[in-house]
Formats: sequence, structure tokens, C-alpha cells
Amino acid sequence: MTEGSRVHIVDDDESLRTALIRLLKAAGFPAVGYASAGDFLLEPPERRRGCLLLDVRLPSGPSGPALHDALNMQGIDLPVIFMTGFVDMPTCVSAIQAGAVDFLEKPIRLEILLDAVKRGFAADKERQAERTAKDRLTFLFGLLSPRERTVFERVVAGKLNKQIADELGVSERTVKAQRAHLMEKLEVTSSAELGRLAERLELQQAGRRANA
Amino acid sequence: MQNVRSHGRQTLVSLAISIIFSGMAIAFQPGAASELARSGPKHVLVLFENNRLLPANIQGDKGFNDAIATAGPEAVISEEFLDAPRFDGDAYVRIVLNFLKDKYANQPPDIVVVAGSGALDFLLKHRADLFPTVPVVHMGVDKSFVDGLTRPLPPDVIGIPIEYDFAGTIDQALKWAPRAKRLLLVTGTSAPDREWEAQLRRMEGQFRGRVLVEYLAGLSTAAVLQRLARLDDSTVVFTPGYFQDGAGQAFKPRQAAQLMATASTAPVYGPFDTFMGTGVVGGRMPSFEAAGHEAGRIAVQLIDGADPASLKLPPVMPTVLNLDWRQAVRWHIDRREIPPGTVVMFKAPDFLEAYRTEVIVALAAFLLQTGLVAGLLVERRRRRTAEVAVDKHRFELAHASRMAVAGELTASIAHEINQPLGAILSNVNAAELLMDAGGDHAKEIREILRDVHRDNLRASAVIQQLRELLAKHTVEKSIIDLNQSLGDMATILRREAARRDVVLIVRPSPVAVPVLADTTQMQQILINLVLNGMDAVAGEAGERRMVSVSVERNGKIAAIEVQDRGHGITPETLPRLFDSFFSTKRTGIGLGLSIVKTLVENKGGTIRAENSAEGGATFHVELPIAENPVPVRLA
Repeated sequence: MTEGSRVHIVDDDESLRTALIRLLKAAGFPAVGYASAGDFLLEPPERRRGCLLLDVRLPSGPSGPALHDALNMQGIDLPVIFMTGFVDMPTCVSAIQAGAVDFLEKPIRLEILLDAVKRGFAADKERQAERTAKDRLTFLFGLLSPRERTVFERVVAGKLNKQIADELGVSERTVKAQRAHLMEKLEVTSSAELGRLAERLELQQAGRRANA
Repeated sequence: MQNVRSHGRQTLVSLAISIIFSGMAIAFQPGAASELARSGPKHVLVLFENNRLLPANIQGDKGFNDAIATAGPEAVISEEFLDAPRFDGDAYVRIVLNFLKDKYANQPPDIVVVAGSGALDFLLKHRADLFPTVPVVHMGVDKSFVDGLTRPLPPDVIGIPIEYDFAGTIDQALKWAPRAKRLLLVTGTSAPDREWEAQLRRMEGQFRGRVLVEYLAGLSTAAVLQRLARLDDSTVVFTPGYFQDGAGQAFKPRQAAQLMATASTAPVYGPFDTFMGTGVVGGRMPSFEAAGHEAGRIAVQLIDGADPASLKLPPVMPTVLNLDWRQAVRWHIDRREIPPGTVVMFKAPDFLEAYRTEVIVALAAFLLQTGLVAGLLVERRRRRTAEVAVDKHRFELAHASRMAVAGELTASIAHEINQPLGAILSNVNAAELLMDAGGDHAKEIREILRDVHRDNLRASAVIQQLRELLAKHTVEKSIIDLNQSLGDMATILRREAARRDVVLIVRPSPVAVPVLADTTQMQQILINLVLNGMDAVAGEAGERRMVSVSVERNGKIAAIEVQDRGHGITPETLPRLFDSFFSTKRTGIGLGLSIVKTLVENKGGTIRAENSAEGGATFHVELPIAENPVPVRLA
């Protein structure tokens, strides 16, 4: 389990919250409770790790699905497990479509709860690793000079050094040197690797645009 | 019309007789009979002591109108309400007098009917000023009031007074408990309480030979209840209730009777029909409907030209024997000892039917021998079965409507039950994990057990609430505070409002609003109206998603107002709004509002709907405030 991961329980019912915290702690998962979506949002982002166990109906403030949508919009990808006392199919379907890990019906059986929480934690770990990789990529890309970026874009577009040199009005030698530099900075050794990296970077940027 | 003709003939005959035997008399007799001889429809003015919605008035009015309608004379009926005791004082009396004089100047009444002692008193005082020569019929006037008048009533002021029948009630109670050895009489300490005690002491001789008579007079309520809780079944208790107990605490007689009936381990009887439903077995009680009916019959005879002084009237209205069926079962009252004409209340419909079949089968064997009578009885039976079917139908409809409401509430109820159940399950799982882990977790486990206990109670409370709402229970009217009903409704619908994202505003009255109603039916009225409001605002946004409910007491009227900010009611919908199976909603079955109307009208109330100025609809329900169970008249 990743250090600092916790189950964040959002449910207005204090008694249920206490019982779930108690149970998860006894099962070895640190847990913390919030009475509303607002209370959860007060938690600093860096501490929102692990997974979110979220009641669908919250009488004060936004509902569970509304909180989930808001987190998605802000690019906060904490895995969400919904729980509800009354499963209605439309809510369930849209929650899963929005990326929820699971949709549990109360009262929740122990094995089902623990299984969902484990999957939630695993998903969080995976997403975190992904996030780290992406962050690193963004960082490395940031090291490139404007000219190197121009060369990078043309390289991944499949152009030859000669074509790039003509387009930019420089010698082929210069392009070659710049190409070696940027590969070094991006920590890749082959053109194929550079292509895959570009693909990931592009996806990431496309994702940002879609979320904006 | 036949009646008018016969009336004309009668007048002619009496005229002829008058001429033959005392030709002079006519010229000197400007009395009522000659005034009534005028042709055309007769004008009857009914003057009620209290307001329109007092149950006694509604019943009396019904009896009166039934009698007039049955006899069918040409009569126009006007009604006025003196609204005592809410309005009184010399100024008020003067205004009412002028109003009545002006209003009826061009259409003077041919007969005045006064309902209630207060109305009779008013008329006797102001008769010379108002309608000096018009004959007067009184109805629902207490016999002790008539007996206590300083001058006897004039010969053209007639009627049959009512009387509370202590002796008749006790007599019946002893008949129903043939093995009783002791009669216990419970009375209080205020002036009317002591008057009742004196009445009982005057009549106790009648029962001395049959049972041992004992008094619990002027004890504190606590002492009374203690005594009653230790009685055995050889005792019969009778009480008119009391206004004040030996400890100086004030009561309404109904309240006192209810406490006694609840505590007592022997059957308790009483003389007032307001006691019915409190746990009191029953008694011989005056019926206001019957009093109205008799007054109507007297009025019909006067319309037909009878001389008021010549009518032979019984000295007092017969009382009606009332019996609470649940108590009859509890105290093993022999069914064969229930005399015909007894009004049996609180009998569940299914049981009623079973019992009726039994009677009909028993009768059938006998009827075979007397074929002629059989035909009549079969007809009668058919009618009664139909009546039961109608009652049962109404009961089923009310139940179906509650089921529909419960269906609508499924989501919020599931949530309310699943929260505690979920907490219990997780707590138990946690305890198991802790125990498996070993080590000392006694403190945590104790906390867990405490929480499990609390959540268990929470879940059962929800189920209990639901069961009360859905139970096919017999209707039990008691005096309830509308504020309480409002609170119950809010508890049930709080979740539903949150689920639908509708703001539910509840405005109770700062003062108690007592009405005579069944707790569940009252909840049903409120729930149906509020759900209707929530449906109406479903398509709205923002602050228009609001339903507000208020309860108010306006003098003798309990007013409920349910307001929504929805789409309002279209003019073409308005006339059919309360019809059964009429619904503008996609999912509605159209029972909600029609059931509400039925329930409200059963309680002597009214309901109407209108569009409010700020948009949306407002439903107004008005119910009569529950009155003091017996008229208080301090000597």
C-alpha cells in the first residue's frame, strides 16, 4: 500500500461513518470521514490519496455524483467507490461511465467492501505512477529550447533531417546536432522511442484540452 | 303538491270547526296558527348558538334537514349562527339583533328554530323585539336549562329537550355485567362536577339492591387511577369525567375519562358521546342528529298548520345506546345482550361482515316459514350489504392511496432503513476483525455494541412509522394537535424532500390546534397534499422548488395551508381536481386529492384550492377545532 493512502468516506450519517471507519481500520485500511462533499474538498489535495467511498445522496450540499463530476473536471483522478441505499439504474450507469471503481448497495458486505477498497487503492497507485511518468515527461519537455521543440515536432511528424534543414534554413549538420541534444534531454536513445514519447505527450495534452 | 293541498284542506277544516264552535275566537286570536295559514312556501329560520362547524351543529342540522326533506313541505330554510362563545357582549348582541331585524324585515320567518340553550336564551330575551308572534321550536337544549327557567316557556315555544342519562347508562352497564357486585362512581371537585355527583347520589337508590354502590369523589387523579388499576371484574365503573380533580388539577371530562379507561382493570362507562373512542365501553347518550330530526318533524307539523300548544311532545329526547365494539370484546359482553338500535362503533369491517353472515344465516331458517317477511328482509339485507361494501370500498381506497404514497417514498424509506442496517453490519464486522486480531479490545467492542443497539432502535422506528402509515387500522378519532401531525409529516417526508431537491418549509402554530381526528388519517391528508405540491414543483428551478405547509388556529377553525410555487392549476382542471382517478400527472393514479377531500369532509371540514398571486397553487383545509366535550355551565 502506498504511504499516505487512506479511504476517504463521505456520508452524512455519522453512525454509518463511524462504523465504516472502525471496520476499515480493523481491516488495515486507514480511513477518515467527512459529513459532506464540502468537508472533503477542504482536505488539502496532496492528502487526498487512496480512494473515495462516496454516498450517492448527501442531504446538505452537492450529491455524490456531483462531487465526482467536479473532481473529474479538475483533473483530480482519486478512484471513487459509490455506495447507496437504493440502487437506481440511471445513477449507477452514469457513475460507472464517469469512471467510478464500483457501485455498492448498502448494507455493504465486508468482502465486497474490502475488495472494492483494494481495487480503489490499486487504481490510485497505478494512476499515481502514470501521473509521475507524465509529470516527468512534461518536466523533460520543458527543458527543450524553442528551436529544439521545432525540430522535435518535425522529427515526430516523420520528416528527414534534410527536409527539416531546408524548412528551417539551416544546415543538415546543425539539425543533426539539435536532434542529438533533444534526444539526450528527453532521455531516449532511438527515433522509435521518441515517437512513442511524442504519442504519450500528445495524449496528455489532448486530455488537458478536453478537460479545460 | 300534495302537501300543500292537504295543508290547505286542514286549514279549511280547522277554520270551519272554529266558526261552528267558537265563531268569536278567530278575531281575538292573532296567534301563530293563523299566521301560518298564509299560502306559499313557508320560511323557516334556524338560529344556531355556536358556529357552523361545531360537530353537534352539523349533526343537528343534518337531522333537521333530513326530517324536512322526508316530509317534503314547501319550505325555505335560512340559517344564522350566533357564534357563541367566540363572540359575546352587549354590543355584539345589539349588532346581531339589528342585523336579524333588517335582514328578515321583508321576508319574516314563519317558524324560528333555535339550536342550543344559548340560542333559546337569546330568543327568549329578545323575542318581543325580533319576531314576537312567530312560533319557536327549540332543539338540542339541555333539560336542566328548561327546568331552571324562572318562568315556564310560552305555549308557542316548544321542543323536546335533551338529557344526559346517567341512570340509563348505569342500568345498561349492569345488564352487560350480570355478575357485577360493585358499582364505582367517579366524580371531581368543580361546581359542575359536584352537581353530577349530587345527581348520582339522588339516583343511587335504584341500584342499591343490585350492587354495592361506592364513590370515588374528589380524589386526586393519581389516587383514582391507582384504585382503578386494582379492580377486579366484579366491578363496573361509571364516570361523567370531571373538570377538576381532588388535587385541583384542571381536566376536560373526556380527558379524565380517557385516563380512567386506560388505567382501569374493570369496564368504564360514561354518559357523553364525546367519550366514545377513549376506551370507555359506551353508554346511553343524547344524539344531536336525532334532536335535529325531532325538531324538523315538529316544524313540519307547524307548517302543516298545527297549533303549537296542541302538539303532544315527549318530555325529553330518548338517548342512543353507544357501544365501542373493541371494549365489548375486551369485557366479554354477550352479543345477544346488545339491544337493537345500539350504535356499535370501531368494529373492523371484516369482522362486521363475518358477524353479519352469522346473523343472516340464523335468521334465514326462521324466515323460510314466513315467506312474506322474508322478501322484505332480503331487500333490507341487500341494502345493508351495499352500505358495508361502500364503507369497505372507501376504507380500501384510503388504504390504496397510502400504499401508493409508500411506493413513492420507497427510495427515501430504503435510505432511512439502510443507513442503520449498514452501520450495524459494519460494526459487527469490525468487532469480528478486532476479536480475530487478538489483544484487548474490550473498550472498542463495548462502544460497538452501544452503537449497534442505537442503530437497531433507529431502524425499527422507521419501520414502525411505515407500519402505522400502512396499517389497515380501524379509524380512531381522538383529539390531536395539528402541530403534532405536522411534525410527523415532516419526519416522514424530510428525506423525500431532500431526494427531490425540494425545500419543505413547515410552519407550526404557536398555540395548540386541537381537532377531532384519526392520527393516521391526519398524517395522510398532510402527506398527500405535500407530495402533490412536490410533484407540482418538479419541473421548476431554483427557489421555486419550494413547498410550505402551515397550521393555524383562527378561533374555532383549524386552518391548514399547503402552498407550492409550481405551475399552478389550469382553469379546466380546477372543477375536476378532487375527482377520483383524475390526474394530470404522468405517473399519478389520481387518488391522492380525492382521498384528501373525503377524509377532510369526514371530519366536518372543507378543502379548496386556488392559484396564488406569486404563482403556484395553494390548498386550504379548514377543520373544526375540537370543542370542550360537554357544555360548561357554572351554576
